Amino acid sequence: STISKAESSYIQVGLCSDPALRPDGRALTDFRAVSLETGTAPLANGSARLSIGRNPHDGSGGTEVLAATKLEVETIEDGGEDKGRVVCTVTCSPAAYPQLSNNALEDLQHDLTTIVHTTLSHPSLHPENLKIIPGKKSWLLNLDLVILSDAGNVYDALFMAARAALYDTKVPRTRFVEYKAKKRGPAGGAGEGMDVDDTATEGTSGFDTRQRKHAMDFELLDYWDEGEPLDGRQRWPLCVTLNLVPGAHFLDATLVEEAVAAVRVLVIYAFEAPHVPVVQGMRMLGPGEVTSSQLKTLLKDAEAHARNIFAGLDAKLKEEDVRRNQKASESFEQR
Amino acid sequence: MAQSGFDRRRINGPEESFSPTYDDGGDIQDQWKVGRPRVGRNPTNIRPIFLQPGLIDQANGSAYIETGNTKIACAIYGPRQSKNVAFHDKGRLNIEVKFTPFSCPRRRAPIRDAEDRSIAMAIHQAILPSVRLETLPKSTIDIFITIIEADGIEGCIASGSVAASAALADAGIEVFGLVISTSAAIVGDDVWLDPTHQEASNSKGTFVLSCMPALGTVTSIWQNGSISPSKVVTCMDTCEKQCADMHAVVAQTLRESTS
Repeated sequence: STISKAESSYIQVGLCSDPALRPDGRALTDFRAVSLETGTAPLANGSARLSIGRNPHDGSGGTEVLAATKLEVETIEDGGEDKGRVVCTVTCSPAAYPQLSNNALEDLQHDLTTIVHTTLSHPSLHPENLKIIPGKKSWLLNLDLVILSDAGNVYDALFMAARAALYDTKVPRTRFVEYKAKKRGPAGGAGEGMDVDDTATEGTSGFDTRQRKHAMDFELLDYWDEGEPLDGRQRWPLCVTLNLVPGAHFLDATLVEEAVAAVRVLVIYAFEAPHVPVVQGMRMLGPGEVTSSQLKTLLKDAEAHARNIFAGLDAKLKEEDVRRNQKASESFEQR
Repeated sequence: MAQSGFDRRRINGPEESFSPTYDDGGDIQDQWKVGRPRVGRNPTNIRPIFLQPGLIDQANGSAYIETGNTKIACAIYGPRQSKNVAFHDKGRLNIEVKFTPFSCPRRRAPIRDAEDRSIAMAIHQAILPSVRLETLPKSTIDIFITIIEADGIEGCIASGSVAASAALADAGIEVFGLVISTSAAIVGDDVWLDPTHQEASNSKGTFVLSCMPALGTVTSIWQNGSISPSKVVTCMDTCEKQCADMHAVVAQTLRESTS
């Protein structure tokens, strides 16, 4: 959004003054109210709906992001990998950006997708339990994020929603199954009611005596069981956007505050073991510059902010877990 | 009938293409294992750079850069009038990156790709703070970057930003300073500067730092992968020092080309 020079100067002077003044009265490092609900998409393997700065009275406004994970079975020939794949996509609803043309909206979607995908699909975060049959089938995890409305700080919202949805994701348990061809008379071939996977014999030579003479497939251990939690759920990172004005930095900017910030530094932190911070990504956005000593201080500040956000989000995720799983199974047992 | 990849307007090559295999006993790089020292150079050595401004006469400014196997040509047209767009008081910087089909081991289709835009955005962020756009209202500067041969995405971003900055100086567009970029990869415990594609894919994390050594400010940081905060600080220091060294060389090349 473009704001006039007068308004921009008014906000900047407020942010640079001592004590700092923000248009909505928050402190520089205060977040707006963040609300999170998991399990909002029952057809997905994991989902979450997160909003920052929503009006508590009528639920309008604020930055709202929906995240959902969907697992698909992928064969190695179709581009899958033995250990599975993670693909992230961000879609911007045209309602969230009414002033952007179609092309500009696609460009924005692409830029957001690039940041989220290159961070979350990095091999260092890859979950272990996406394998099915080595050499044949594996899980493809599609993480789709939809921005329903944007009132500033969309990067933090995207990563928080992604972490929540991935934390909530359950991978169905599979079991390796073999079908052995029965030895029949000269007729040979498949018996009635037997399911032989013909694709297993494609491209194999009749002279290849090492080839196993049976098909390999997998089955779900329990059709009704959602599965085990996705591996590495503590490792998923969070983003802290530090908006810089001369002499100070502030968090959780609204749209006008973002227009005023000369440059934004995105630092994406993960905490592998508690209190062991790891930087999973860094970007700078905007026409301003920083010195490297400022950047080093900002890194430390971002780590402290990330810890706070992590603690808050984790507490809420555990609460959601209790609400949906434990309470549900308790009420089921008491019925 | 028409599968993806069938382009009616062009003479299509075979649908599937494979790079030829050579019987030379295997690449030394393939035998590299974690924990071994770097093959061929020191961790903090960058590959020699060849930078030549002014090779494309038709453009207002141009530069060609070669670092190892990465070859990038950059042409600048502008500042020119922004057509059909509402008034804007600051100039626009428009960057387009294109990979030639023969730039990577696997042939790339000539259509515009997702990866083209990511590299364009990274280079845009690297040079945007250096250009004095407030002196160019209603104007656009078009920067066209052609990647003739690519050896790693980080290398392309770093070399592309240096080429773009040199081309801006060659075009006579006012800038606050030259932008120099260095890429790095964290392999094991070491920081390796200017990684090749092979080295970057074996690393825990990659890092591209763009800065203006003349002013001592950083214009862009692009980091991926899992790196501890202290390693990030070490990386930043190593890259900044390297950028300062490169700046002298680039400035000297520009002086020689204009005299």
